[in-house]
Amino acid sequence: MTEKQELWRWTESRWTNPDIDWKGKLITSGVDVGSVSSQAVILADGELYAYSNMRTGSNSPDSAMNAINWAMEDTGLTLDDIAYTVGTGYGRVNVPFSQRAITEIACHARGGNHMYGPTVRTILDMGGQDCKAIHCDEKGKVTNFLMNDKCAAGTGRGMEVFADLLGVSINDIGELSLDIDEEPPPVSSTCVVYAKTEATGLLREGWPTNKVLAAYCSAMAHRIMTLLERIGVEKDFAITGGIAKNKGVITRLQKEVGTTILETEYDTQIAGALGAALFAKALKEKGK
Amino acid sequence: MIEQFKEWEKNRHEYAKDWQERTGGKVMGYFCTYVPEEILYAAGILPVRILGSHEPQDVTEPHIFAMFCPFCRDCLAQGLKGRYDYLDGIMIAQSCLHIRQTFWSWEKHVGVEYSKFFIMPHKIQSKDAPEFLRGEMEDLKKEIEELTGKEITEEALDNAIAVYNKNRELMRKLYDLRKEPNPPISGEEAMEITMAQQMVDKAEHNKALEELLAKLPSRTDTLSGTRLMIVGSEDDDLQFLNMVENCGGLFVIDDHCTGSRYFWNQVIPEEDRLMAISKRYIDRPPCPSKDWEERKRIPHVLTLAKEWDVAGAIIMQQKFCDPHELDFVAIKKALEENGVPTLFLEFDVTVPIGQFKIRVEAFLEMIGDEDLF
Repeated sequence: MTEKQELWRWTESRWTNPDIDWKGKLITSGVDVGSVSSQAVILADGELYAYSNMRTGSNSPDSAMNAINWAMEDTGLTLDDIAYTVGTGYGRVNVPFSQRAITEIACHARGGNHMYGPTVRTILDMGGQDCKAIHCDEKGKVTNFLMNDKCAAGTGRGMEVFADLLGVSINDIGELSLDIDEEPPPVSSTCVVYAKTEATGLLREGWPTNKVLAAYCSAMAHRIMTLLERIGVEKDFAITGGIAKNKGVITRLQKEVGTTILETEYDTQIAGALGAALFAKALKEKGK
Repeated sequence: MIEQFKEWEKNRHEYAKDWQERTGGKVMGYFCTYVPEEILYAAGILPVRILGSHEPQDVTEPHIFAMFCPFCRDCLAQGLKGRYDYLDGIMIAQSCLHIRQTFWSWEKHVGVEYSKFFIMPHKIQSKDAPEFLRGEMEDLKKEIEELTGKEITEEALDNAIAVYNKNRELMRKLYDLRKEPNPPISGEEAMEITMAQQMVDKAEHNKALEELLAKLPSRTDTLSGTRLMIVGSEDDDLQFLNMVENCGGLFVIDDHCTGSRYFWNQVIPEEDRLMAISKRYIDRPPCPSKDWEERKRIPHVLTLAKEWDVAGAIIMQQKFCDPHELDFVAIKKALEENGVPTLFLEFDVTVPIGQFKIRVEAFLEMIGDEDLF
């Protein structure tokens, strides 16, 4: 028997900026412990120096430690070198080495502002188990926000379930879902359980995998659109979080929104931790 | 400071049973705050509001539609579980379909010696409403007299009006203290008091309130926080208020029927006692199910927001509550146009603390003035 592949497992990553020597600089960090993924971002004098992006475990303090340790790996940094840490995300109060917790809504706005520039007014954070539409000003301060209902339908977790169900790597879902001749109607529900049942039925009817994926990505884009419609989309518009990497959802959302979605060189999953690290710098400088 | 009220609220059933024993009087459970309690009180009956317990349960599914609100479900569960088995009767004033289902279902599946569906007009803004309601009260009075075998005298009605008015006056005084920049009482504490108010003999509540009002000005641990208003449907979720107030918020005023809507206005005495009571219920801050055609609730909410100087409002409603869902859009717009940001939350039997906390904290960060940049 072959070993079962973990197709839902998205690529974890870490990165260090080779052009920066952190010594003698103000080191601040932000740690975003989300429901599905955790990130740690380290800034040196406010510049992105290193980050890690990995799966959240069952224990929030451990996940925070793992993320920061991985971000610090081979840099010579230790926790003692970090002057200030802000925790964010679902486990924001469980970051043992943090001085402060700030919500991921404020952090995504701040991080999004840094990643996409000060013209961004609407940020959509598409996370592992929820979705947030955020309005912000030119500094990245939240002016309004709206979250999805309590149900986690149509979020990253649902995508993981689909990767597993359809036997394709989660990293390939977006591209595969676009490889179709004609856009199929969306599945009628983004509820993971219902959608899974519906998808099983479609497969039985003989739909190819990519067509089923298209139907699911389309349903997800549509659900997000209903959230955006309630709060309104002010330009410029940008997306953060894991689903921002899924072209299948983004391309379809782009069509529904009708406005350009900004692109970035940054890893969209680090937006929250990046915002937290920027707040950490400001808080340290204010002596808080 | 508020131990007595807390004790009453936490041990509501023990209190009612004890009251029954020591007075020999009847206890009437009621489902809606449009029930004219003065008439019951004048007959020596203790009216107690039936509220839920915020525990998950599975006893009401056969009796209440899935899309009816969690509050009506939670109330019925209390009956089905026998927690109100000491009641001598139940009563409802016509307000909404959902709680009415609880009433009918209670009648049928819990069983009770006496039950009364009191016709409270929907169109309270009609010029004929006070007269109509007075007629209904006349009938109620007769029925209650038959139930107790005792006449409800004018003196008894005067006494009931006086006790209830006193209670309303004291509650307004308490709420006025919350206008202070550092109020001597939290939103959670105020809710304990308003809940106890719906459960205990008003004469006893008055006594405890007078003692509290005498003590409060010297309270040293006054409170600070982002001043908030809570607006919505029935709301007795102490756990939610506690969570918000632990996140840096401070509730200073409310508009819901487990709060200010219940006690806001007094009976203005007139020769025809029943007419005086009738006018009080017609003129009280309305439930949205009755706020037609003129929307009187909106200016009332705006006045509260202004006078209590709130920085933001949390608009809550019981999930599936249609009247409030309809009102939400207009109230949100009115508040925001007047510079009061809002956060909307749908309540269920239990509060998903983690999910609500992120929304509340982000809201407080948004309206707060801390410079994080």
